[in-house]
Amino acid sequence: MRPNRPTLMLCALTLFAGLFVCDSAIAQNEGEEAAAVTAKVLVTNLLNPSGLAIQEGTGHVFIANRHGVYRYLPAEKDRTKRIAIEIHTPGNDVYGKGPKYDVGPLGVAFIDGENLVVGDGSRKDGAEFVRVYKVGTESPAEAAKEDSAVHTLGPITMKEGVTAKGEGNFYGVAVGGGAIFVTCNGDDTKGWVSKSMITDGKPGELLPTIATKEATSVDAPVAITFSPDGKDLVVGQMGEMTVPGDSLLTIYDPATGKLKKSYKTGLSDIAGLAYSPKTGKLYATDFSWADTAKGGLFELTIDGDEVKATLVLKLDKPTAVAFDKDGNLFVTEFGSAAEGGTKNPGSLSIIKAGL
Amino acid sequence: MENTSDALCGRWKLFGLTAGLSAILLVFSLAFGLQAADEDAKSAVPAGLGKVSHPKDNLPTAEKISLGKQLYWDKRLSKDNTIACVSCHDPKKGWSNGEQFATGVDGQKGGRNSPTVLNTAYGQFQFWDGREPSLEAQAKGPIQNPIEMAITEKAVVEKLNKIEGYKQQFQKVFKTDVTFDNMAKAIAAYERTVLAGNSPFDRYKAGDKKALSEAAERGRYVFFNKALCSACHAGPNFTDNGFHNVGIGMDKKEYDVGRFAVQKLGGNRGAFKTPTLRDIGRSAPYMHDGSLKTLEEVVEHYVGGGIDNPFLSEDIFPLKLTAEEKKDLVTFLKEGLKSGDYPMHEAPKLPE
Repeated sequence: MRPNRPTLMLCALTLFAGLFVCDSAIAQNEGEEAAAVTAKVLVTNLLNPSGLAIQEGTGHVFIANRHGVYRYLPAEKDRTKRIAIEIHTPGNDVYGKGPKYDVGPLGVAFIDGENLVVGDGSRKDGAEFVRVYKVGTESPAEAAKEDSAVHTLGPITMKEGVTAKGEGNFYGVAVGGGAIFVTCNGDDTKGWVSKSMITDGKPGELLPTIATKEATSVDAPVAITFSPDGKDLVVGQMGEMTVPGDSLLTIYDPATGKLKKSYKTGLSDIAGLAYSPKTGKLYATDFSWADTAKGGLFELTIDGDEVKATLVLKLDKPTAVAFDKDGNLFVTEFGSAAEGGTKNPGSLSIIKAGL
Repeated sequence: MENTSDALCGRWKLFGLTAGLSAILLVFSLAFGLQAADEDAKSAVPAGLGKVSHPKDNLPTAEKISLGKQLYWDKRLSKDNTIACVSCHDPKKGWSNGEQFATGVDGQKGGRNSPTVLNTAYGQFQFWDGREPSLEAQAKGPIQNPIEMAITEKAVVEKLNKIEGYKQQFQKVFKTDVTFDNMAKAIAAYERTVLAGNSPFDRYKAGDKKALSEAAERGRYVFFNKALCSACHAGPNFTDNGFHNVGIGMDKKEYDVGRFAVQKLGGNRGAFKTPTLRDIGRSAPYMHDGSLKTLEEVVEHYVGGGIDNPFLSEDIFPLKLTAEEKKDLVTFLKEGLKSGDYPMHEAPKLPE
């Protein structure tokens, strides 16, 4: 899809001047715990944000959305400096058949305090990359260009017996066990999680490693994280967008790729997963494509072979979640455009420590 | 029957033991009613399939399943006593009916091909557009549909209550006279016994690498890889239970909107439920509109990438399959997914 001139101008405005830093509370959950959990909007006018990573040391929040990766500085007193474009990615692809969403980079995660992994979603399957950028502790004077990455992994092209159409839509990124793991959302026959081993600080070839569809009969691995002890790779498999309640929480051995456990969650489309560093509790966002009114933040409690999903907070097409070291939870939402509105509906919010 | 000689041999070895156990079980069954039959009804699942879930308010019993089978076969459930469920969902025709569009009362034709009843027990949605969530709800639809069985709820209940054999069975099973809800429950309980599994593919997957012929094995590989069939036809029932626009009928000015009529998401336009592929060789013609007469035509459709349209599934695009790969793929579908113990039910004796 090739953007026209007005679109480009709008993009430029959005990139460099259009983001809004907010202070208003937007939502709270319903029922008994209505007063317990609230989210505060930090940034609006994002376009389809889907990835979050917190930088060690600075606490800066990196947000992947249609136009690139932004850096949000929670402690910055000057509101005009609180958010800035870090990496500009001009490409664009469309996710979904209706509704359709323009997407760019999808997933982000840090290898360490300065190496940020970015999963691409802005190209066709078989042509996308996973890139590693070196980022500093301050916002750069100028946004980094997409091809300024220090390491570029992929693409994963069509290969007999591996992928018949090429992999892509690198939605989620997790780093652990000496490797980068990336969920892939392109080839629905395999539902690959790909892996790049890190040797001497350098990531190796990105290889399709865990065929989640073959392991569970459900595809679309999207959310990915490590268990608090680092021993388990924890994946949210979205399943069919048109089918409610089919999302799985799956646990894989990061070393062997072997499925250790698969749980039916009753959620429709798990898009984000994160463990609280304070309580050890696991949280998931449900985008709920078929019925977005049911989307929200859920606590997942594993009890034997069962998982119980408890609604914490209703959200509008929520995607990524990430905790900072103090236990504050950041969450992104695609949101819904206001009628006649000119601003992008995406946002970043925070739920103060307590989860 | 698709049993291998090894399996047959094993069965003969077990025969003596089985016969002895059966005799003991028979005594217990006679002594304690139909408890054993009820358990069979709950647990008789062919190899390769998962457990069947039953609604809490419609647990199966042998009597209920038997009643449901009679109702399923009984043309008196239609306005003019000419159409039964089995008229459009016939075991001899893959539990579909062999026509592009089935014929209802007064010779009327519908606009969609009769979906198979095979393994609908596992369906999260019923009908091609998934408009009903359960077999109980589904069973009520065609009976009242003016171009299918065309009878009202009141009329069919009155008619069945005049048949003493039904009245007695409803009393025994449900402790009521005939009601519309209980009629649907009995039919649904019966339909949950219509299961297709234990195919060469299931035996192959269980470790018998000779269960598939060489051609079927090659076709299996094409199915799960190059042809991308498993993007949608996945899991034990070869369906993701989802809805996809696969480029069928989309060249018509007023195409069938499918799932969109139920759920108003743009991507649902022209999308229909992924059907099971179990025993697919028996249920021609194919697709929601019955427009493709053979599996060879189906494969050619997908190789061509379907009729291009804005809602076409991203997994549908032109494929590069050789003539041999196409042939092997059809062989896998016909032979590899053919049940070893296909539910070729016969018509029951109907009550008077």
